[in-house]
Amino acid sequence: METDKKAHFRKTLREVKTLPTLPGIVVKLTRMAEDPDTTTEQMGKVISKDHILAAKLLRLVNSAFYGFPQRISSLNNAIILLGFNVIKSLIISASIFEIMEEKDIELWEHSLGCAVVCSVVAKRLGISDPEEISTAGLIHDIGKVAIKMELPEEYEQINRMVQEQQVPMLDAEREILGLDHAEVGGWLAKRWNLPNKLVEPITCHHDPRLAKDEQLSSAVVHFANIVIRGMGYTHGDDIWVPPLSQRAYRLLGLTAVDIDEILGEIEDKLWDVKGFSLEIQAEQAPPQDNN
Amino acid sequence: MVLAKDVETPEGRVLCGKGTILTGSLIDRLKKMEITHLTVEGHPVTEEGEKTLAEELHDIDQRFSRVKHIPPLMHLKKRIQERAIAARKE
Repeated sequence: METDKKAHFRKTLREVKTLPTLPGIVVKLTRMAEDPDTTTEQMGKVISKDHILAAKLLRLVNSAFYGFPQRISSLNNAIILLGFNVIKSLIISASIFEIMEEKDIELWEHSLGCAVVCSVVAKRLGISDPEEISTAGLIHDIGKVAIKMELPEEYEQINRMVQEQQVPMLDAEREILGLDHAEVGGWLAKRWNLPNKLVEPITCHHDPRLAKDEQLSSAVVHFANIVIRGMGYTHGDDIWVPPLSQRAYRLLGLTAVDIDEILGEIEDKLWDVKGFSLEIQAEQAPPQDNN
Repeated sequence: MVLAKDVETPEGRVLCGKGTILTGSLIDRLKKMEITHLTVEGHPVTEEGEKTLAEELHDIDQRFSRVKHIPPLMHLKKRIQERAIAARKE
């Protein structure tokens, strides 16, 4: 591919204009989080001012992919339990998913499903911050949304190539754009100042060997993406399960018994997620005229 | 049909417990309370457009067709197929 063209795609995607820029509230909360005197109550108050956002956050927090045994009813508790980085990512996800829910239910369900698998696997491995990994799972394909929004023509080409030549989307992206959604997602996450704990697993979810500091989290998201695709939560004509990195799999150290049990846990939770997704769709549907 | 999971309001209040038998009037009542979905035991209804077991197993085969050389993924595939079969038998 001509280097000019590739450079152009790179520039366009780095400057994403159509995706919501970091919502003002996140900028404000980030500033607050940097101040050691800020209390969770103060942060909760700032979020509460945006009623829709507050409701969405609580719903995300209470949905199956975090799997807290008890319902979290206040934003303060959510901030304490999940930590600021996760709340920040959730605010960003909430704004991005507004686009995804409307335009791409399949990708949204794949993302929710991946977050569920991340949560189940992370908990089984006894990782100390499973919520952060779930969040990485939730936004791991954010680069796909960016490509779709910023380069709609090329996105069409990519989809056509997937369909006509029966190749995975990742290969088609590399062929047509000279880059892929994992890389793009990583740039976005970095631009939003998300912590490396989220940036690396997003960037490396197809090639966890690239991970430097977050090898385990990257391995979890990599494996979760494979499992959820295996369970049928795929996207468009790209129906295939991507290859597994042997190194990542060894790092996870899962046994055949683990896999069996994990599948059962995931299935249970996916039901809840499906309901969650249906509720959202029902809310978005125009009110029905019953008369 | 029997509820496989509690039916809850969005606030988390339990309306009907797991194991409750769903009658027509109960379903009507839940509808009025704007409950949009619930989970029942087994596989009592075939939804329109739902795949047959054979189709489902074939789809799983297709999905894993590019990773036949990776043993852990072949194990994963086998287990997913077995679960699909078991789910239909319930």
